[in-house]
Amino acid sequence: MVELQDHNSTEKPNWCPGCGNFTILKSVQKALTELHCEPHNAVLVSGVGCFAKLPYWTKTNGFVGLHGRSLPVAQGIKLANKDLTVIAFGGDGDGYSEGGNHFIHACRRDVPITYIVHNNGVFGLTTGQYSPTSDIGKKSKSSPLGSTERPLNPLAVAIASGATFVARTYAGNMSHCVDILTKAIQHDGFALVDVIQPCLTFGKTTKYYTERVYYLDDKYDPSDKSIAFIKAVESEHGQKIACGILYRETKV
Amino acid sequence: MNSFVIRIGGEAGWGIATAADIIAKVFIKAGYHVFLHKEYASQIKGGHNYHTIRVSSIPIAAPIEHVNVLLALDSATGEKHTTFVVDGGTIIFNDSVEIRTTKRNVHYVPLQITKIQQESIEKNVANAIFVGAAVKLCSIGYDILESVMEDIFKHKPVLLETFRTAVQKGYNSIEKSNTINFPALKKSLSLGFYTGNDAITQGALDAGITFHAQYPMTPVSKILHNLAKDAITTEALTVVQPEDEIAAINMALGASYAGARAMTATSGGGFSLMVESVGLASMAEIPLVLIEGQRPGPATGIPTKTEQGDLSFVLSAGQGDFPRVVIAPGNVQECYTETKRAFYIAEKYQLPVIVLVDTAVAESFVTVTLSDDLHIDFSQRFNIINTVGNSQIKDGMFMRYEGEPLLRTVPGTKNGMYTCAGDEHTEVGCITEDPTIRTSMMRRRMDKLNLIETELPPPELYGSSDADVTVVCWGSTTSAVKEVVDTLNSEGKKINLLQMKYMCPFHTTTVHDILKKSKKTILIENNYSGQLGRLIKEQTGIAMHETITKYNGQPFTVDEVYKLIIQKW
Ligand SMILES: Cc1ncc(C[n+]2csc(CCOP(=O)(O)OP(=O)(O)O)c2C)c(N)n1
Ligand SMILES: [Mg+2]
Repeated sequence: MVELQDHNSTEKPNWCPGCGNFTILKSVQKALTELHCEPHNAVLVSGVGCFAKLPYWTKTNGFVGLHGRSLPVAQGIKLANKDLTVIAFGGDGDGYSEGGNHFIHACRRDVPITYIVHNNGVFGLTTGQYSPTSDIGKKSKSSPLGSTERPLNPLAVAIASGATFVARTYAGNMSHCVDILTKAIQHDGFALVDVIQPCLTFGKTTKYYTERVYYLDDKYDPSDKSIAFIKAVESEHGQKIACGILYRETKV
Repeated sequence: MNSFVIRIGGEAGWGIATAADIIAKVFIKAGYHVFLHKEYASQIKGGHNYHTIRVSSIPIAAPIEHVNVLLALDSATGEKHTTFVVDGGTIIFNDSVEIRTTKRNVHYVPLQITKIQQESIEKNVANAIFVGAAVKLCSIGYDILESVMEDIFKHKPVLLETFRTAVQKGYNSIEKSNTINFPALKKSLSLGFYTGNDAITQGALDAGITFHAQYPMTPVSKILHNLAKDAITTEALTVVQPEDEIAAINMALGASYAGARAMTATSGGGFSLMVESVGLASMAEIPLVLIEGQRPGPATGIPTKTEQGDLSFVLSAGQGDFPRVVIAPGNVQECYTETKRAFYIAEKYQLPVIVLVDTAVAESFVTVTLSDDLHIDFSQRFNIINTVGNSQIKDGMFMRYEGEPLLRTVPGTKNGMYTCAGDEHTEVGCITEDPTIRTSMMRRRMDKLNLIETELPPPELYGSSDADVTVVCWGSTTSAVKEVVDTLNSEGKKINLLQMKYMCPFHTTTVHDILKKSKKTILIENNYSGQLGRLIKEQTGIAMHETITKYNGQPFTVDEVYKLIIQKW
């Protein structure tokens, strides 16, 4: 019997008060507990960024490597021991910028690991520069007149790159996070979970996200790639952000 | 007889490599040692490629300058290589291409390639015709040639048929009067015929490799090809070709952390991309074997040629001080032994071990029986524990980064959880910036090098014990120098050789003592700036008396080394 506290560390996280990372950490632990995964049979792999310290605050096996490189490490671990439950973590800077190449190819390679991206639309740890998922016009220390780059659409990229499980959830809703993560971990293939995470220090307000986030219901069919694409692209207008499993390939 | 050389030249895509391979194996079957050196351009079709087969009754592993038989499939081969053909040598050429050079005292033997091919069904068999002619020219029996072909085309019966027909036409077109009476050796030596890449592959397999990730790059792509093939039948072995070298090394690190015996391989360009991760391996204390095959740089350099230019780079690559081991094997046999040793050191001391080779040793074939005297039982794991006692646990986590010997668990071990950390960390791997912990963790890591030094065999002098000259070299250059040292000593001169194999940790005291006693030192390196010389100076304070460097993309030949040593004597 696995209890939630089995995954709990005695160390206390040093994230800013109210950071979405706390919810993500708790959701991962809850999902692992629900799946009866003992701490020694799971590996949490991360890179560098505020988000990346997550493995330090658990009692699970952890690997904190380089900025942008959690995916190759996680795939190596899974390929070496398929019995382990392997979860990789990325940030929007870490995973979509520095590690962008690994992201595309992990989607194609379909090694059964879960990839959780803490998408807060900024480089948090380096004090708030614009990131690949920042909106056009985002003003920051490195974009004083506003960023001129279009934001990357990670879900669309994942679908186009052959990912077999593509989901989005919201750090403002722990039960949805736990639900999606549980399904992602159970998926037999590469699973992307992009987590919308408010950064209270450098990013958009919680209110901004709460107003836009909505949840896909049972009527939504995630097996249709074209529809999944439409759902993924929908968020680009900045009005609606669909959360749930956008695309899931049913394997035969 | 240690210097009979056959060279075959033509365009890429003409089957020059296959032809050279067959000729080499014919001589091996006939009881000879063979050194096969391939020179090719970085292009798939066209260009000028030539392969040189050096045949000897004693072991050899270096190129020499003269050619006894030149097989000129095109006029470029004639133009470029006639000058190397010895007095009494032979040039076999395609009679429908113009060989614009003529040399006195050289036999020109035309082959009616066009005519023969017109009569055949298959049109691209010039290489086979030349093979037949060359073997006949050397008076080697057709039966040997037949058995080599059967072996090479074992799974390609149709190809064997066409090849054989053409080979026979070539064989029969050489008049008895033109043949060279090659001394037949009585017994076949049953030696393997391997490149450095093959030896590295075999070493890795014999050391129990279970994970290899590599992005293709000359001169070490063959390691990937070999292991990919081995993985088909070796269930425990996983081989991945990832998206880039950063992924390759990080996958290997992940696999190694999870308990695999892991390796990656690349050249200087790919190693440049891996550098940050080498630091991670050392910081997080993850075993890793990394093969670095040097070729001339910077940038893409001359992709298919040789150089020893990455020594300083691999020794210092990375952010901050961290321990790494750098081993530079000098020949194919050493590629085997040192790869195995690398797996042992990496696993036991939990750090990156770089095996540094160069194109000349990675891609040249020699006749050799791969063996070693390491006495390491690779069926067991080094410093991996399966059970964790209470005294090894703190706050529910395994104190992985504490204690001597260096013990680790792999994920899946009950109570074995820790964080494998690239950040500075506590004994359980939790991130910290505490100055005291930082200092003790730095010491823990750096001290490994002292322990490892005692496990590596110290360098020894080869040759005369009372030498007037000591030659210092490393890597593939060693084979040419060794041969020259033997020759000079047999001619009554007194010379010896100091081959440097272990670059880090460095046997400072031993090397210092050896060089201090040397009357005259000559450094020979296949690079521009004499990087080994710099390392020796840094480690021992001793500067070489003379330095010979070469950086034109070609390896040192035996003749060249001989002349240069005499000049500097
Ligand atoms: C190779 C490398 N480049 C740059 C950095 C500096 N760096 C650390 S975190 C970071 C960005 C983090 O942003 P993100 O991944 O979005 O994580 P967050 O802090 O927002 O959680 C950068 C650029 C680094 N550590 N390594
Ligand atoms: Mg971020």
